[in-house]
Amino acid sequence: MTIEARPGTPLKRGGGRPSRRGGTVLATHRWILTPWLFLLPGLTVIVLMVMVPFANTLGLAFTDSTLLRQGQYVGWENFHRMFADERFTTALLNSTLYTVCVVPCMVVLPLILATLVSGAGRLSGFFRTTMYLPVVMSPVVVGLIWTNMLDKRGLVNALFDTLHLVTEPVPFLSDRWLLLFSAMFVTVWTGLGYYMVIYLAALANIDQSLYDAAAMDGAGVVRTFLNVTVPGVRSTMTLIAVLSSVAAFRVFGEIYVLTGGTGGVGGGDLTMTMLIQREGTGLQARTGYAGAISLFMFVVLGALLLVQLAVQRRQRSS
Amino acid sequence: MKSAGRRAALTAGLALGSLLLSACVTGGGGGGDTSTKAPGGKVSGKITFQTWNLKNDKFTSYFNGLIAAFEKAHPGTDIKWVDQPAEGYQDKLSADAAAGSLPDVVDMGPEAAYTLAQAGVLLDLGKADPKAKGKYLDKAWEAMTFDGLGGGTYGYPWYLNTGPSFFNKALFKKCGLNPDKLPVTYAELFDQAETMAEKCSDTMMIARMPAIETFGEYGVPLMDGRGEKFTYNDAKGVEYVERFRKLYAKKGMDEEALNNLQTKEVEEFKAGRLAYLPGSSYTLDDLKATAPEVYKNLGIGPRINNSAPNMYIESLVVNAGSKNQSLALAFAKYVTDSTNQLAFAKKASVFPSSAGTLDDAYFTKDDGDPATKVRLESTAQVKKAVVWWPPAFSGAADSQTLREQIAQALLGKKSVKKALDDSVKYSNERLDANK
Repeated sequence: MTIEARPGTPLKRGGGRPSRRGGTVLATHRWILTPWLFLLPGLTVIVLMVMVPFANTLGLAFTDSTLLRQGQYVGWENFHRMFADERFTTALLNSTLYTVCVVPCMVVLPLILATLVSGAGRLSGFFRTTMYLPVVMSPVVVGLIWTNMLDKRGLVNALFDTLHLVTEPVPFLSDRWLLLFSAMFVTVWTGLGYYMVIYLAALANIDQSLYDAAAMDGAGVVRTFLNVTVPGVRSTMTLIAVLSSVAAFRVFGEIYVLTGGTGGVGGGDLTMTMLIQREGTGLQARTGYAGAISLFMFVVLGALLLVQLAVQRRQRSS
Repeated sequence: MKSAGRRAALTAGLALGSLLLSACVTGGGGGGDTSTKAPGGKVSGKITFQTWNLKNDKFTSYFNGLIAAFEKAHPGTDIKWVDQPAEGYQDKLSADAAAGSLPDVVDMGPEAAYTLAQAGVLLDLGKADPKAKGKYLDKAWEAMTFDGLGGGTYGYPWYLNTGPSFFNKALFKKCGLNPDKLPVTYAELFDQAETMAEKCSDTMMIARMPAIETFGEYGVPLMDGRGEKFTYNDAKGVEYVERFRKLYAKKGMDEEALNNLQTKEVEEFKAGRLAYLPGSSYTLDDLKATAPEVYKNLGIGPRINNSAPNMYIESLVVNAGSKNQSLALAFAKYVTDSTNQLAFAKKASVFPSSAGTLDDAYFTKDDGDPATKVRLESTAQVKKAVVWWPPAFSGAADSQTLREQIAQALLGKKSVKKALDDSVKYSNERLDANK
């Protein structure tokens, strides 16, 4: 016997009419409650850990509150201060640049890597594992490794010196732009393996006959990649673009560790998240101001996501 | 040194002292005046006592003895000792204060105490226990008295720390300087640093940016008379930073130095690339143990200053909301009394803030040992020293902003005056926001 449940239809046992007696009514209520009960744990976490803090941040953004003082409504004052704050301009520029540079690398490089290691060759497993290793390493450990490598007296400068490529050490960790690009390199190095695994799953779904047909048509490696592989993983590329752009705009760990927690020389490498952390923590935290910066960041990321989703929709419809 | 760094230096020093110093230890705590009377009520019940990085092989027995002696003298009392790592201690205090769960007695510096006192979380000891003032050095009591908060005193002074200047005499010789004429004032320091920059491209005299307390040592007025506004952007402050700008332009400091924190400065000195290190009472033993080559060529001089040398202070504050306030007051006063401060100072290589304790033979009698010589010189320095760090210069963000603004001035992105104006504006805004 099949028990069929459709929305709006009480569950019928044995095919009989629903009884008006209490037991069946209770069963009906149970049926309505069941999905909500399943949702309850997750919903509770989301409401308490995401929605309530978000609503709180929204409220704080329009007050002059500090950590230990409630504060009063100040309208748009925090936002006026934010746009006049030179650190905000620096942080916005750095986070935007980070996103612009890192996202294309995160979308393209892991795909190329995944294509190279997707076969069943002997060494494929080894390379897949090796490339995934940075993903499982602690961000702080990764940061410390690269700090030592890129230091004025680190391995990279020692190598350059040995090869007589430089006369003075390259200031990877003290020049504003070099530090920012070094951090981008670390982000890409760490993220390659993660996105490669996502692409490997997508590649497995591409019909082998498409590759066979391309080979019969005489398509080379590049043409096959562009005309078969890329269209086959296009939706995955959009997903990775969304995920990596959100992560890149929120960059914190890499720069924090590479600058020793300082934001670089003269604060030149501050990012949005670092600015929020600086204003929103400590005994004198200006939680209202930090809330305003957080809200601005939310709006920027929201807009970014909407644009990417629109692009995805257009791709699907075409 | 920023506030977090200052805390780290004090606690790291205590930890370091625990490893390096053992000869001068004289048993555990608990020998103080256990009959300490609370100023306003019966001493009973249970309180929590919070310290940072002090529960270890060196200090645990001292504090256990201290607490046991107090509990024995005050039947019916229970002191729960809680110790946490000092890293991010301001964030931990923030969380406790915001949640209303600050321990009854907390080990704290004046910069953290200021903000908590501003929020009404700490007990004003000037009112709750006015007679206590006479039991401490005047300058120590004043360091915990906050003019900007109506002149209230928000902590029993505990230990003090200061130290001499250390120089690498080998680098002085190598770079054409006279190792027998070590700098004593800032003018001499900068002049010699510029000479060093001209003669040696791989060596620096100074490897860290000016911090708020060094502005004080230079003779810059840090705050207005009422302690409500910062003033270190005046002509004297500009003059001080201009010397750094000039030195940087002459390649006497590299770009990395504009971002260095204290730990990096110490590393550079130990590696033999830096000629001057403003030290603390722990530095000598640390250099002896970890940089023997530098130790061989070590020159020691008084802390460089144009006004008065700087010292740091640690205190014990009492939670205004403590349910057993009389017990909290009695215990905090007991830990910081003369006998217990002396015992702790010997164990931790710090200096006591209780009145008269610095006259003990331990701080006055020379036995010919280099460590004793440094201790005696530092003791003499403590008597002249001032806690320059304004308590209102509270958050790490203030220190970071000051360092960043000065770096921008040195890099030529803005004038020194504009950089200091921006830093002062930022700190004043934060101060006002917490009023």
